[in-house]
Amino acid sequence: MTVATYRHTHTARQVLRSLVPVICPPEAGALGDAIVEHMALTFGAFPRVLQRGFAAGLVAYDLAALPRFGQRARSLRGERAERYYASWEAGPTRLHVQLARGLKQLMSLSCYEQPQMMARLGYQPAPWIAEVTHRRITVYRDDVQRQAQQLLAPDPLRPGVHVKRDRA
Amino acid sequence: MVAARPAVHEAAPPHGVFTRHDHRGPCAIDADVVVIGSGAGGATIAAELAEAGFDVVALEEGSYYQTRDFTADSSAMMRQLYRDGGATMAIGTPPIFYQEGRAVGGSTVINGGMSWRTPAKVLARWEREIGLAGIARDLEPYFERVERRIHVAPMDPEAIGNDNLLLKKGADAKGWKLIGNLRNQAHCAGSNRCAFGCPTGAKQSALVSYVPRALHFGARVYADVHVDRITRHGRRATGVIGTIAGGHKLTVRAKLVVAACGAIHTPALLVRSGFRSPSGQLGKNLAMHPNVKVVAIFDEDVTGWKGAHQAFQVREFQDQGLLFAAVNLPPSLLAMSFPHRGAELGGLMQHYDRMVLAGMLCEDTTTGRVRMLHGRPQAFYQLADADAANLQHGVVLLSELLFAAGAKRILLPFHRAAELHGPDDARRLLDRAIPARGWEVVTVHLMGTCRMGPDPAAAVTGGFGLVHHTDGLMVADASLFPTPIGVNPMETIMALATRAAGHVIDNAGRFLA
Repeated sequence: MTVATYRHTHTARQVLRSLVPVICPPEAGALGDAIVEHMALTFGAFPRVLQRGFAAGLVAYDLAALPRFGQRARSLRGERAERYYASWEAGPTRLHVQLARGLKQLMSLSCYEQPQMMARLGYQPAPWIAEVTHRRITVYRDDVQRQAQQLLAPDPLRPGVHVKRDRA
Repeated sequence: MVAARPAVHEAAPPHGVFTRHDHRGPCAIDADVVVIGSGAGGATIAAELAEAGFDVVALEEGSYYQTRDFTADSSAMMRQLYRDGGATMAIGTPPIFYQEGRAVGGSTVINGGMSWRTPAKVLARWEREIGLAGIARDLEPYFERVERRIHVAPMDPEAIGNDNLLLKKGADAKGWKLIGNLRNQAHCAGSNRCAFGCPTGAKQSALVSYVPRALHFGARVYADVHVDRITRHGRRATGVIGTIAGGHKLTVRAKLVVAACGAIHTPALLVRSGFRSPSGQLGKNLAMHPNVKVVAIFDEDVTGWKGAHQAFQVREFQDQGLLFAAVNLPPSLLAMSFPHRGAELGGLMQHYDRMVLAGMLCEDTTTGRVRMLHGRPQAFYQLADADAANLQHGVVLLSELLFAAGAKRILLPFHRAAELHGPDDARRLLDRAIPARGWEVVTVHLMGTCRMGPDPAAAVTGGFGLVHHTDGLMVADASLFPTPIGVNPMETIMALATRAAGHVIDNAGRFLA
């Protein structure tokens, strides 16, 4: 199945963008837009009910800051943004906690999917995959070919029975 | 028989594979057998029946990928190969995230490749309690056949990474039983990408083993097809109606319908097709093998992503329903699993290459169920107190093992849990009451929702997977398991599917009538 293209709403994008400094490490600060875009890819693979749940949750998160801070969540910065997110994380209800935890999980995923973040950790799987693939097909070439041949060799489960031939 | 082709094509889809791009309108086809699902059960039975001369059509909801499509982009692979991008969850306390493959080859494309026979004690229980007389003896030749086909073998030593060697070091220090994992691999290279589609082709998933074999013997595989329902005439299944991605309808008329969609979707398909089980067990008896993980941080460099996935299993506590293994996750998935954020998360992730992620499988003592919710199957599962206690005990043991291997700190799978700094900290965990909602539990083993057994009043299917009180309808996946099996289920599924294929071949006249 193809993964449908998903686009954040304006509100969702703004709220997520404001959460990057709260959830991601400081070294990811410059990657905010890329992280939020990557989250859209992840949301796109989710079932629709979950997509709608997150979209609604982000609107609620945005608006619920108004009575406390006189501003929407998307406009909160620094310590105020931190305090507001922490209040959801500790949550008056399980729904608050689940949304905060879900956002944290998905944003962390997208953060560490950024090539710059992986490189900082020394995580570079592509060259490793190339190296071990090459080693496998050079060192074990004969065995690998033998297995490929075995996969297609005749080996009937019930020798002598072939329904097509018998029907003919 | 059709002409031989290479096992894995690295260009256009091979002859016999049809994708959404091949359809310009509604499609109706006839076959002897239609198999729904192309994973461990579906691909196996499709290949065996095709070789025996049956005209077989296999339908797969996911897309067709080839080895070259499996890249180092972990999240892209999850979006493409996992149902709902991996965001599938059983409702309960705690909620349990589970993963299912959705691609040609099914979950074998994304599993770790552990290939274990059903434990003797489990088969003895199935004989004794379920009435599956002689199943242990019956399955023996089928296990051998499956192991030969998918090349079940121990790991080459040079493919074993440091994380697994540290697990072994800890087990050896504790004097605990540890075994080398048997895996379906032909010289696994240790890329540690099992869960994202093996990029080297070493893992002998159904995609590169049974599916090419089925195609070779004339089966047709239709990818990108969601099966809406099984058609029926009275109590006889007559085929399926599905929707191809893009919207065209696909109708298959067949004399035998095999449902192999896994323990969540097989019962859902049967229910929405109007089949009922007088046993009342359809969709019930869901077992999950709850998994939790701990993360140990060492002083030394581990670089766990270089080396084979789960090279060893600690079997010391198998009789208590616990297995331990070292696994590795890419940074993104590991970061996702930590409760930390901000600078704290960044500080922790700096230790990524010094981390060992160790997981534990628990043989569950309770069951959940699958129900339809808003037109989709939804799993419900409540972690039993006894299983939670067993997991807690397991976390203590696993932490002791990792400290014995030299770990300096251990992070636990409970929300807001303090880190452990030594084995005494670990043992003190036993005195703590950990609320069920605090656990972070995942699983990849789903079993039991169409349990088999000879008694139609107690089981959905008979011993060969034929659905009781229906004709021409068979189940061939882990939903058949009457109980959890306590080990990785792939080989059991394949052996049961091979045995079922043998039953169909032995009774071909009846099935083709």
